[in-house]
Amino acid sequence: MAINILIVDDSAVMRSMVQKAMQLSGLAIGEIHQASNGQEGLAALEAHWVDLVIADINMPVMNGEEMIANMHTKPDLKAIPTIVISTEGSRTRIDRLQSKGVRFIHKPFSPETIRDTLKDVLGSEVFHEPSH
Amino acid sequence: MNPAISARLTAVTTDTLKRLAFIFASPAESGPAVEESPSETVRVDFSGAFTGGLELSLSVPVLAELAANMLGADEGERLSADDQRDALKELVNVVCGNLLPALAGRAQEFNIGTPYPATADEPGWETPAAVSHLVLENGVCRLRMRMDGQLPEPPAGEPLKRTEQG
Repeated sequence: MAINILIVDDSAVMRSMVQKAMQLSGLAIGEIHQASNGQEGLAALEAHWVDLVIADINMPVMNGEEMIANMHTKPDLKAIPTIVISTEGSRTRIDRLQSKGVRFIHKPFSPETIRDTLKDVLGSEVFHEPSH
Repeated sequence: MNPAISARLTAVTTDTLKRLAFIFASPAESGPAVEESPSETVRVDFSGAFTGGLELSLSVPVLAELAANMLGADEGERLSADDQRDALKELVNVVCGNLLPALAGRAQEFNIGTPYPATADEPGWETPAAVSHLVLENGVCRLRMRMDGQLPEPPAGEPLKRTEQG
């Protein structure tokens, strides 16, 4: 099974970094969709089948927290595993996201952190081979 | 200018440069000034427990290295000017995101704006709350932090390392 991924971040460089880290992780990747803010992210979720959402918090137009709150109002989007990758340092905001089942990775991240979190969230069966 | 906040700014920036882009930096007490070489400047504004902005100026020769290292580009691969500017914006964003909880504590929430290009000699930043000058292998880096209102006291003993993993 290949995983379709949506990466939502207003930085094209950061989207590329995340994509590269996911490719290095050994995850069986299907389609990768990208969006530069929460509003574009929601539009992408309506247009494509997505198995995993990776999102930043601080973005223009609609931030990641608002996008996730919107996803949770829609039964078909609520269950999509979501990982927030952000510089966010507020324990309050992180707790609020984690209470919705969202996983959190702090920037700057290592590829190993991405890999380990993906395995926790998706399970080892969607990885090509054991990674080291 | 607040020396304690400047010291935190230096520590967070050197740590971020190392971990985000594998670039090693050291504080420059009286080293080369960013004004003496061509540089690119970006700023980001924030609001929350206190409001203000963070400015980062980086020597032009370091921009390509920054973008290439962040993107894991192959040797000799030429990255676009847009990629280089975007990498610089992401750098100031990550520094700002890590600096604010180091200054205000992790209970505080901040909203960080979208980084934008600026010029290093723009008015309004003559009396910053904190300044950091760094020397890199291929250039220099200067950060200035502006705060509106009262400066917070840095929390004693607050770690400057990353605050959350996985």
